[in-house]
Amino acid sequence: MKEGDGNVSVVLEGVTKRYGNFSALDNVSFTISSGDIFGYIGPNGAGKTTTIKIIVGLLSDFQGTLTIGGRQMPEGRQDIHRILGYLPQNVAFQEWRTIDQTLSTFGKLSGLSESEVEKRIPEVLDMVNLSRERHKKVSQLSGGMTQKVGLAQALLHKPRLLVLDEPLEGLDPESRYQVKQVIAEYSKSGAVVFFSSHILSDVQDIATKIGILNKGRIMQIGGLEELKSRFSIANDLEIVLSHDSGLWKKLEALKGIKGIEQPTPNKLVVHLDNKINIDDTVQDLIKELIALGCRIRRLNPISPSLDEVYLKYVQERQNV
Amino acid sequence: MSFRLLVKDELRGFYKSKVMLFLWFGLPLLAILFHFWSSLQGGEIPLTALSAIITASIGGTLASVMLAVSIINEKTQHVYDLFLVRPVKRWNIILSKFLAVYACIAVASGLSLLLGVIIDYVNLGALSDTLLRETLLSLATSLSMMAVSSSIGVLIGVVSPSVLVGVILVIYGGNQISALPIIPTILNISNAALFSVTLGVVISSIMLFLAIFLFNRKQM
Repeated sequence: MKEGDGNVSVVLEGVTKRYGNFSALDNVSFTISSGDIFGYIGPNGAGKTTTIKIIVGLLSDFQGTLTIGGRQMPEGRQDIHRILGYLPQNVAFQEWRTIDQTLSTFGKLSGLSESEVEKRIPEVLDMVNLSRERHKKVSQLSGGMTQKVGLAQALLHKPRLLVLDEPLEGLDPESRYQVKQVIAEYSKSGAVVFFSSHILSDVQDIATKIGILNKGRIMQIGGLEELKSRFSIANDLEIVLSHDSGLWKKLEALKGIKGIEQPTPNKLVVHLDNKINIDDTVQDLIKELIALGCRIRRLNPISPSLDEVYLKYVQERQNV
Repeated sequence: MSFRLLVKDELRGFYKSKVMLFLWFGLPLLAILFHFWSSLQGGEIPLTALSAIITASIGGTLASVMLAVSIINEKTQHVYDLFLVRPVKRWNIILSKFLAVYACIAVASGLSLLLGVIIDYVNLGALSDTLLRETLLSLATSLSMMAVSSSIGVLIGVVSPSVLVGVILVIYGGNQISALPIIPTILNISNAALFSVTLGVVISSIMLFLAIFLFNRKQM
């Protein structure tokens, strides 16, 4: 690998994949760098799994270029596979194996020695909370447990590129939290993490960079804050008053405020204008509220979620 | 390294499977039952020869069905994806499966035949040279037939889209081709055993080469 021991980047340039006349991916380009957790979202059939299969080398007949750690896919597949950890959607194993046998084989195939495998298996099973199931057959595991074994095999050889296709699918809330922690922690080692998900709140929780894909095309890429500002989604403030003088309506004339609503008594929702410095607006707002005889008990920023960003995007596309 | 590991792993998976249990214990038992049934009917087929015939006909079919079904299932469930994203050559996966199953059925045939020889020896006293020669010919033919059956099972496993189609192809198509190594014996050619083995090796190699070629080109 050309990029040194720790750093790996994934660069897609004009990647296109066609099945007959159907274009599953159309001129997809993006770059993911070391330490990034890239959340890949999009509706069903958008091309997320196709992108992932191209990145991991399971699909090789595509147009465009894909470079991972300085090596091109598919020519440099063998080298790339040494640094790759992959969890497919609906992961499946040979049913006769136990978890231990599964991990042992995959560890050795990834280049670990017998002693390294023996050391790493308890570590990864501990990460996904499956230590007690080590000698269970994989055919006896629940869907969620199988998914966790899938994550364990992907992490076993400490890959520098971790590609996860819907890693949180089918997990209970506790396991989802646990897996998110594992992913976030793992990225701190400098690895690139690429994952797709339908659960937008989960993407929002851990992704440092988000890509929105629709009908095979990348529509937006950036950090969550970047996407929010790009879609002009207003930031709102929720203000709870302990005394309401009723004069707060006058605040609507204040610079940086787009409007004020009172959903319940003593509670105000202030819509802020993103184009004006929010810190200045909030300072002015507090001063004016006090001057108008209101007493503030609590003030919370209401930030738009990724769901809102995504919905906004979809609505905009429909209007176009 | 990875090829040896995969063969060892596949052996571990197959030798304990239900189909293999039938081959380990069921085939010798079936041979003994047929032997006694034939004795009751007045015929006297030596158990040694009977074992070879039964192993070739039933063992070969079972092995090819087992291989085809296993490959189709693992392919459709995307089990191979996790192997293919590691530095493993694709032919290792295919060939390790073939070798594991073939080794298992070859050992099962050997055991079945050995049991036949022991029982015949106890019943008939010393075994005649002709019987031993015919037994060895049967063994060579059956091993060749099983190699062809197994390689066809692998090829059908790689190309077939579903288990049902795969099983139909194996039973109706594969079985016909696997009978080819028996031709030298039927034609009574001298050195029939050698011809039979050569035919078995050639056909199996072609089938395996085709299977590996197609598996290498497959987009997962």
